[in-house]
Parts: sequence; C-alpha cells; structure tokens
Amino acid sequence: MSGPGIGWYLIVAALLFGTGALGVMLRRSPLIVLLSLELMLNAANLTLIAFARQHGSLDGQVFALAVMAVAAAEVAIGLGLIVAMARRGLPLDVDQASSLRG
Amino acid sequence: MVAGAWFCLLAPLAGALAITLAGERISRRQAGLVSTLTTFAAFGGALVAFVAMWAREGAEREQLSTAYTWLAAGDFEVGLQILVDPLSAVMMLVVSGVGGLIVWYSLGYMAGDDEERRYFAYMSLFVFSMLLLVEAGNLLLLLVGWGLVGLASYLLIGFWHHRPEAVAAAKKAFVMNAIGDATFALGLVLLVWQARTLELPAVLEEADGLSGTIVTLVALGLLGGALAKSAQLPLHTWLPDAMEGPTPVSALIHAATMVTAGVYLLVRAHPIFEAAPDVQHLAAGLGAATLLLAGLVALVQWDIKRVIAYSTMSQIGYMFLAAGIGAYGFAIFHLVTHAFFKALLFLAAGVVIHHLAGEQDIRRMGGLRAALPRTHVAFLVGTAALVGLPPLAGFWSKDAILASALASGGALGWTLFSAGLLGALLTGAYAFRLYYAVFRGPPAEVTPEPHGPEAAHEPAHGEGPLSMLVPVGALTVLSTLGGLLSVPGVWHPFTHWVSETAEALVEPSTGEDYLTSLAAVTLGLAGLWLARRAFVSGRQLVTSPGAWRALEHKLYFDELYDALFYRPAAALAGALRREVEEPVVERSLDELGAGTLELGGGVARVQSGLLRTYALAVALAVFVLVLVFVAVR
Amino acid sequence: MGEVLVWAVWLLAAGGCLGSGLAVVSLQNPFYSALALIANLASLAVLYLLLAAEFLAAAQVLVYAGAVMVMFLFVIAYLGGRADAPWAGGPPLLRAAALVAAAALLAEVVVVLGLAWGDRLAEPAEVSAAFGSPASIGELFLTDHLLAFEITSIVLLVAAVGGVVLGTARERERETR
Repeated sequence: MSGPGIGWYLIVAALLFGTGALGVMLRRSPLIVLLSLELMLNAANLTLIAFARQHGSLDGQVFALAVMAVAAAEVAIGLGLIVAMARRGLPLDVDQASSLRG
Repeated sequence: MVAGAWFCLLAPLAGALAITLAGERISRRQAGLVSTLTTFAAFGGALVAFVAMWAREGAEREQLSTAYTWLAAGDFEVGLQILVDPLSAVMMLVVSGVGGLIVWYSLGYMAGDDEERRYFAYMSLFVFSMLLLVEAGNLLLLLVGWGLVGLASYLLIGFWHHRPEAVAAAKKAFVMNAIGDATFALGLVLLVWQARTLELPAVLEEADGLSGTIVTLVALGLLGGALAKSAQLPLHTWLPDAMEGPTPVSALIHAATMVTAGVYLLVRAHPIFEAAPDVQHLAAGLGAATLLLAGLVALVQWDIKRVIAYSTMSQIGYMFLAAGIGAYGFAIFHLVTHAFFKALLFLAAGVVIHHLAGEQDIRRMGGLRAALPRTHVAFLVGTAALVGLPPLAGFWSKDAILASALASGGALGWTLFSAGLLGALLTGAYAFRLYYAVFRGPPAEVTPEPHGPEAAHEPAHGEGPLSMLVPVGALTVLSTLGGLLSVPGVWHPFTHWVSETAEALVEPSTGEDYLTSLAAVTLGLAGLWLARRAFVSGRQLVTSPGAWRALEHKLYFDELYDALFYRPAAALAGALRREVEEPVVERSLDELGAGTLELGGGVARVQSGLLRTYALAVALAVFVLVLVFVAVR
Repeated sequence: MGEVLVWAVWLLAAGGCLGSGLAVVSLQNPFYSALALIANLASLAVLYLLLAAEFLAAAQVLVYAGAVMVMFLFVIAYLGGRADAPWAGGPPLLRAAALVAAAALLAEVVVVLGLAWGDRLAEPAEVSAAFGSPASIGELFLTDHLLAFEITSIVLLVAAVGGVVLGTARERERETR
C-alpha cells in the first residue's frame, strides 16, 4: 500500500476522538454535544476501516456501516429530544438539565 | 395399662389444643364442656391403668413406655417416656379426678366471664402438664412438666390481666419458681454427668453409687425445686399472692395438685434423698418450720382465700415432714386427702364469694349458715377434715405422719413431732376462726354492687348451679370417706400400694398411732375451742399488737427479699442501663446509622445531575479500562 | 510520483479532518458547527477512499452528510435563537478534569500505537480490487453478519417509531397550548 501506513490513520482517528470527547465534556449546548458525539463515532469508524485494511478483512467495514446506521438513529432521537426541550421552553443548556441530581 | 396412661396424659392436651384452635367458633360454654369432658376422660384412662395395674403383681406393676427418643448422645438417651407404676397411678387418679371436678365447677363459676375459652384452654393445659409431671419416665421430662405447670400457673394467676395485682402476683410466682427450676436443672446436670442417665427407674438405682458430695448437691438441687414449687420456706412468698387468680385455679393449682408436685418429687426421687440423709432431714425441718410459720400467719389474715392458702402451705409442710423422715406412703396419703378437703374448702369459699358478689374480706361476712346451707355443711366438713377430726379424711393422714415422726425417734423425730402437734393446735384455731367468721354470727350486710377481684361474672346469689354443687358434694363425700384407705391396725391398702414404689423408712406401731391421734385430736379441739371463745367474745386470737403486726407482714419475708434481692438487682440494672446500655450500645447503634447516612450523603454528591460530569466519568473509566486491557495483553 | 500524490492527498484530508473537528467543538454558533461537521465528513470520505473502502465513502457522503447532517441543519434552523447557549462554563474543576481526561486518553492511544507500530502495524495485507466494493460488503452482510444486519434494521425501526412518538407528543402539546 502506498502512502502513509495504517498507524497514521489511527493517530488521526485518536486525535479526532479526543477532540470529540473534549467537546462532549466542555460544551454546554446540547446540539454541540451531539455534534461532538458524531465526531467520536466517526473517529471510531475510521479506526475500524483502517484495521479492516490492515487485516484485509471486510468485517471492519461491515461494522463501520452498522455504526453509521446506529449513529443516524441516535441523531434522530437526540434531535427529537432537543426539539421537545425547546418546545417546552426548557433552556437548551446541558448544565441546567440536572433533574437526575442525587 | 400403659395405653390407659398414655390416654390419660394426652386427653387434656387434645382438649387444650381443640379449644385453642377452635377459637371463637365454639361458644364459651362448649369450651368449658370440652375441657371438662377431656379431663374426665383422662380420669377414665387413669382408672383403666389403675385397674389393669391392680390385676398385676409385684414388679409387673411398673412399666416404662417410650414414645420416641429425642436425644441420644453416647449412652445417654432421653425422650418422651412415661413411667406407669403404683405411685404415678395414684397421682394420675388424683390429678385427673380432682381436676375434673374442679373444671366442672368452673363451668358454673366462670360463666359470664369474657375470656372463658382462654380459661378452659389454660386449665386443660395445666391438667396435661401436671399429668406429664407425674407420669414422666425420665427426670428431664419431669422437668418439662415442672416448667409447664409453672407456665400454666403464671397464665392462670394473671388470668384477669387488666388487674395489676394479678399481673404482679403471676410474675412473682413465676420468678420464684424459676429459682427452683434452676436448682432442679443444675441437679439434673450433675446427674447426667455422673449417672449418665435420667431414666427414672435407672437413675435412682445409680444414686447409691455416686459420691457423697455429688448426691448431696443433686438432692439439694431437687429440694430447691421442690421448695419453690410447693411454696415452702424459704421460697414460699408467692403462694398467698397467687390467690389473685380465680378461685377454681386456687383450688386446683395452688391446693390440690401443683403445689404438691414438690412432695411427689421428694417421694419419687427418694433413693437420691436417702443417699443424702442430711438433705432429707433438711426437707423435713423446712417442712416443719413452714408448717408453724404458715399456721401463725393464718391466724391474722382477713381474706378468706389467703387463710386457706396459708393453710395449704402449712399442710404441705406436713407432707414435707413426712417425706423427710421417710414416711413416703403417708406423705402421699396426706397429699390425696389434702387434695380432697382443700379443694372442697376453696370451692365452697368460691360459692361464698360468688354469693357475696365478689366480697373476700371475712370481716364483712357472717351468718351465711342460713343463706347457704349446703355450702355450710361442705365447708364445715372441709374444716373438720383439715383440723383432723375423726373420722374425716385429714384425721387418718395427718396423724399417721405425726406417728411416723414419733416413731423415727431421736432429736429430729421429737422436734418434728412437737412441731406437728403445735401445728395441729394452730390449724384448729385458724380453721375454725375462718368458719365462725364466715358462717356464724349475725349476717353481715351484703353490698349490692359487685366488687373485689372475682366480681367479673354474673352474680350467682344462692348456692350456684348444679355444675358447682355436684363437685362440692362429691368432694364432701371424699373428704368424709377418703381417709378410710388407711386405718392403723386394721388395714393399710394405700400405703402398701405406694410402698411398692417407695419403701417407707419408718413404720409407726399401732400404739404410737393411737397415742398420737389422741394428742392431735385433743389439740385440734383445743384450737377449735380457742377460736370459738375468741369469736364469741368478739376478740381476735392474737392480741399483742407487736405479734399482730409481725404476722400481718408475714414475718417480713417479703420485705427481706425485697431488700436482699430486688433492690440490689434493680439498682444494678439501672446502673447498667445508665453506664453501659445508653452510652455504649445505643449510642454505637445510633452512630452507626448516622455514619452510614453521612457516608451515603457524601457519595451522593457524585450524582451531580450534570451530564458533563457523567461524560467525564465515562472518559476516565475508558482510560482505565484501556490501560487494563493493554497491560493484560 | 504516485507515492507523493497519495501523501499529499492524505495530508490534505487529514488536515481538513482535524481542522474541521476543532471547528465543530469550538465554534459558538451551532449552525457553523454543523457545517464544520459536514466538512469533516467529507474529509473522512476521502480517507476512506484511500483505505480502499469505496462503498463506505459513498455511504458516508450520501447517508451521513446527505441525510443526517441535513436533518441537523433543519433542526438548528428551526430552533433559531433558542439554540444559543453559553460556550462553556461549569465548575473550573470540571474543565480542568476534562482536559486532563482527554489528554490522558490521547496519550494512552499514542503509547499503544507506538508499541504496536513496529510489528503489528507494519505491513497491511494484500487486497484484491473487489475489496471494499458494494458486492463484497453486501455478501458479508447477508451471510456472515446477517444478525447484525437484521438488528441494525430493528434499531432503525425503533428510531423511526421513537421519532414519531416524540413528534406526536409535540403535536398534542401544541394543541393544548
């Protein structure tokens, strides 16, 4: 295979994952959190596909496709929740949605 | 024979269970009928056993029947076994017979009480327990019966549990009996250790082989139990208080049967006592002392039942005296006749109390001869039997005991004999004092409203229903004729029967018998004369105020025990509560709870409700997990 | 020449990926963040192509960028001003801890990669031209991974139902207002 080795792809994926994690942990808007979550999922996808190429087995790609489908479903529900929150007049602020406080 | 004995034992238990399980589905009267019928059925069983035994001879008359073995450890076995022999046959007949009459009497006496069913269930339980005690084939089972009768006594003394005096009296009886139970149990422990068996025929044979110290300790233990159960010095203070229970209870438990269990034990375990003669003589001495003490205190009591209670205490002193010198047959004989006339006295007193709507103070009684003619006759017969006037029952039995004391000779024999004679004088005095106060003289005013402890039932003015009259009548007949089972010089079927189990150590000669009787009857009549003279002149028998006060306080035994035992124990308990229980135990538990709460509160702060914190937690967890996976690889 | 080209394309795509990723988490306006994510997805598609995953690259662009992100943009547009929220906040401890956690994860991954660089990540396997084609992926889905296929479809069904439920609830709410 020409070009960078698999390791480089993995480093990109790791950096992307870390960025997404930071977004989830630091941002207060639920929309941004959802977007960051998508980043993390995509980083995982990249890792899967890289390893699929490494091992020459298509299982990784199949898994990545399934992840994409699940991510789509999750986004749909997540957005539905956010819209529901907005409709009820709740502030779209993750820190204020703390009813599960123990 | 054995089948009869088993039936006798189990019939009252079945009755008690039936009443308990039926609960409110049967009427109160039906509960009473169940109890009465099962008790009489038990008597039937006892009769069958007795007759079958009579048909046999010698050693065939004794049989040990084991239902199942509860505990077997090495060569030590103990379980549900009954011993059917002449002594237990006599006791079975007395317990179920007199018991049956008294339960029948209760049908009329307790009619109208709110908790009749509970009463009859307890009565059947008692009859079963007492039968278990007398039929027990090993000492452990005897102890079980011992404890059960104590329980039944507690339940029945405190039957009217809304009365604080009754509750206190029940507790007092139970605690004092517990002391006896403890010494009894300790004695049994020693026996198990040394003799390796508790089976009744066997363990008694072993008694000879035991060392002197051991057998003395065992005998002391058994004696302690007997003293408590039979209300003898020094564990006697509970019996007068036990009069808080209903009158039939006083008749059955605290006159005819339970309190005589101590005597039964002394006779049953006589080989042990014979191997420890000092203890046996101690028993006789305590019996004599109690006899006199109770007789003196009875002279100043105002409550009709208390007089009869002290009389019981005194008469049992006679039985202990007899057992202590080895006159086992006469001890049991007096037990039987005493059951007749004491039960009679109590039941007749019950009729009086009923008639006077609960009044028990003899100062407010009098002249009832006209109002209650049949009861008057019954009471008079009972009193005369108690005093030992011929030819009534008490005469034959009490004088036989005194004659045995005379026959045993020595310093002890003479002391006991004199005590017994003095006791006869006292008996005549207090018994007839009671009789005159209740039945003779001007009629006292009868207060119309019911009062006193026994006012709980429908006032039955007059002599009561048939269920009360017939038992009283039957007991009257028995008190009259019952003594004829042992006429000195003529025939001794009773003592021969008992001697098969317990060979008497002394046998008075016919001359001694008649001499003693003469002395005793004379003294009894002297007592009667003293009582009558005091009554006629309107004075009391005890005139010195110091003596009066001392006797009224029952020679200060209660106060002594209170100071010796109760106060220190209560103080100790209070101190322990203050110093140990509260600061250490309670506080530590509280702290444990508070600490857990604080810990929980601290941990709960992790639940901040912030999504981002949770995400952070997940990230950290992932970090750790990856570390673990990599390291494991 | 081919090697250089591949490296250049790779660098562009990787840079675009990381840059747009940073943009997603750091931009204030969610709309711009969503657009940044689209750019990220496109860069990722290029990377997938480089990894011989053609079908997945196409699916990424069609499904992810085409459908999911459009849905995102719709919602953001619908919410309008309500979607604004403070950039970040919360206890400073939390922020510091988040940075530390992310850094730690990153360090961990780098270490692991470093350890494996030499041997396991050395030579990628030889692949045929049909690697990553729709035919081969479809074959796998319908044979070895049939269960995953079915379960994924159930997940999508559940999401659809959930969406309808949330939507209906919204409808009822609007009426009661």
